Amino acid sequence: MRIKLLSLFFFMWTALFATSQSHAESCSNAGCHKAIADIKNIHEPVKKEECQACHQQRSTTHPVSGEKNFQLTAKGAALCNQCHDRKEKKKVVHPPDCLFACHKPHGAAGRFLLDNDKDLTGLCVGCHKITLPKQKYMHGPAAVGSCAVCHDPHQSSEKALLKGPVRSLCLKCHQDFAKSLNAAPIIHLPVKEDSCTSCHDPHGSQEVMFLKEKMPDLCLDCHENIAEKIQDLKVPHKPVKETRGCGNCHSPHYATAKGLFAVEEKELCLSCHNTDKLGSLRNIKKDIEGKKYLHGPISKGDCKACHDPHGSNSFRMLKGNYPADLYVPYKDGVYEACLNCHEKKLLRYADTTLYTKFRNGNRNLHYVHVAIKRKGRTCRVCHEAHASNGEKLISKEGSQFGDWKIPLNFQINSNGGRCAPGCHRAFSYDREKPVSYVLEENKPAADKPADDRPSTSDSVSKTEAN
Amino acid sequence: MFKFFLLVSRNSCKSILIPLLLFVASGCAGPAAKLEPVFFPPQPNPPRIQYLTGISKSTDIEGKKNTFSLILTGRADIDEQKSIIKPYGIMTRKGKIYVCDIGVGNVVIIDPIKKSFEYLKGNTNVGKLKKPANIAADADENLYVADVARKEIVVYNSAGNFIRAFGKETDMKPTDVAVDGDLVYVLDLQKKNNEIKIFDRKSGELKQSIGKMAANGEGLDMPTNFTFDNNGFLYATNSGSGKVIKFDKDGHILLSFGELGDVIGKFSRPKGIAVDHENRIYVVDGGNQNVQVFSEKGRLLIFFGDPGLLRGSLNLPVSISVTRDNLEYYQKLAAPGFILEAVMLITNQYGAEKISIYGLGQMQGAESGAEQIKAATEKKADSAETINK
Repeated sequence: MRIKLLSLFFFMWTALFATSQSHAESCSNAGCHKAIADIKNIHEPVKKEECQACHQQRSTTHPVSGEKNFQLTAKGAALCNQCHDRKEKKKVVHPPDCLFACHKPHGAAGRFLLDNDKDLTGLCVGCHKITLPKQKYMHGPAAVGSCAVCHDPHQSSEKALLKGPVRSLCLKCHQDFAKSLNAAPIIHLPVKEDSCTSCHDPHGSQEVMFLKEKMPDLCLDCHENIAEKIQDLKVPHKPVKETRGCGNCHSPHYATAKGLFAVEEKELCLSCHNTDKLGSLRNIKKDIEGKKYLHGPISKGDCKACHDPHGSNSFRMLKGNYPADLYVPYKDGVYEACLNCHEKKLLRYADTTLYTKFRNGNRNLHYVHVAIKRKGRTCRVCHEAHASNGEKLISKEGSQFGDWKIPLNFQINSNGGRCAPGCHRAFSYDREKPVSYVLEENKPAADKPADDRPSTSDSVSKTEAN
Repeated sequence: MFKFFLLVSRNSCKSILIPLLLFVASGCAGPAAKLEPVFFPPQPNPPRIQYLTGISKSTDIEGKKNTFSLILTGRADIDEQKSIIKPYGIMTRKGKIYVCDIGVGNVVIIDPIKKSFEYLKGNTNVGKLKKPANIAADADENLYVADVARKEIVVYNSAGNFIRAFGKETDMKPTDVAVDGDLVYVLDLQKKNNEIKIFDRKSGELKQSIGKMAANGEGLDMPTNFTFDNNGFLYATNSGSGKVIKFDKDGHILLSFGELGDVIGKFSRPKGIAVDHENRIYVVDGGNQNVQVFSEKGRLLIFFGDPGLLRGSLNLPVSISVTRDNLEYYQKLAAPGFILEAVMLITNQYGAEKISIYGLGQMQGAESGAEQIKAATEKKADSAETINK
């Protein structure tokens, strides 16, 4: 080091002596290199007329037209390092020649021998063919050309000349985010383990939040099972395909609730399904509020027990088949959505003592209503799917039948029950002592087999509405 | 003194000579050869079932009593020995083994822990059994015996005393019996009336019949045995159709599998049936003389006990009972490292061994069936991934 300093001192002294001896006028005011003097921020050696710090005379005569009498005292970065010595050499060094790629050697309009030290866009993009100016959404520093906020223009221990590891570099500015992240109970794995640049383009992109891909494609690159699932769905969940995609429901960075939800599952679903303005979809929040009986999964806040939030091939994104129409006779698989949880054999047999309590003696009254081929009633005719003020989720307010709500007037007693709906005349049922449904005046004809009709009384009831 | 010696030598010459001969013979033969364990399936498959032992007479349970005496003739121990002659049904309950000896009209009650081998006390007078086919017990430990010859169910209390009999008026041919709460289910093999009759346990009144063959040909067809599983479903074997049929308690057919044939998966004469704690279905085949084990969906898993083995072959097998009681007792009979999870007891109508006992288990440290399937699935996925790459 000492030798270096001594040789530099000697070199400068010789240069000064030589200059003073051979040139009475300086390089800049002699009229030849006058333009240098007009530069706003002049490089310090130039200001001090120490031209020979960098330039070395090769012949005694100067100027000689058509000839170059001076040469640089060193090549590339070594020239600058004569004064701007970098003590340590880091892993990644910016390869370009300092003088001619980035800095103006004699001086520049801006600081650091740069013409525009405030906005480096023009300077950096000159070599780095990134499409910054074309991006719809830009990262702030990239938008204003503050490349040096993240990148060290000379050398770095990190890839891409970053000033530090990606995550810590990002969090240096995004301090509010860092604070929330540290406090979050659930963190998305890539956020926890990978760099932010896994999902975001740090310069900018055509996608909101300068995501690397549009939603939901970005998420589906990793979540392949969901990608496979949502292909060609008959009943997709609309938010999945919207601009925010997965972000409509999930918090992509961290969350307080399982499933990367910002709130609990039911609350999240009801934050959208709380209005009458969703086309044919019901206002579920209104349906549930204040109701005495909730469907089991809803009471546990588990909407996805029945619905697939990513979409399904079944009516209303249910996890199994359920008819969209009002009348669909039971067949294996048709009522899968309900029978996934409820007794699978509920509707299979005309008589049973095992699979339902809704029976007259052994006669399965669920079968009577749903399995008859002529007019199988879907579950919704009598039961509410989400909540009701009636036991067994029987519609207390009545079942929607076009413009009319059919009253059901269903009652349960210890060994059976009674139903006096707008569908048929009042019937009671008893599991132990089966009730005869044959009208007194018709009793002589009562021996006729009941075939598969809902009840023999259907034939005598003239009030059958549904 | 000399007279006494003569007396002793005359009376007990057999008692002295036989042990002496045995002593000499055993001395010549050296230590008894250790028997190799008999496993199913055979190697190189990992073992899942081991033949453990057999029972035929009281000495198999109680052990041989010390009959050496200077004055006894050797007849006494023979008189004391009780035997199973021609067993049919078998039931295990609370560690005890109940065997219907159809050959002599008897029920044998064995307690391996207490080392007792008893005959049913009430099998006398009005309680005398003629052809007891199968036996069941209720929650109060009353015993219900299906007697094919008496054509009724004969009931004994927990002490073994006769209480009553019922069902005679129905003219049934009861081959099997099971109790569910207050109902007694009876398998009726009566010609052209194959069905399961359901009686009220207390009154003996016939409440209902289920399982009769329907017009579509589905239903009971010469049924010989049935059983309840832990979920309250009934499984019946049908020697007419070669089918195993699973019913609910209302008589609806939930599952039906099998057909007549002499290859694995088919049945020649399906008889005894049992369902274990994992809902695996064990079917005894009197014709093929083996037991086939099926998954709860009727898929064949394993078979064992086929003829031709030095040990562990069945001989005209009839009934089966699967139990997890007294596993520690049976574990002592298993090969080192073979850990039992259940024990199967099967009756043989012929041969020296009237009850063959097998253990279901696996070698210590071996993967369970579910683990093996999981590992195989993962391996398959890995290899598919490698191919894709």
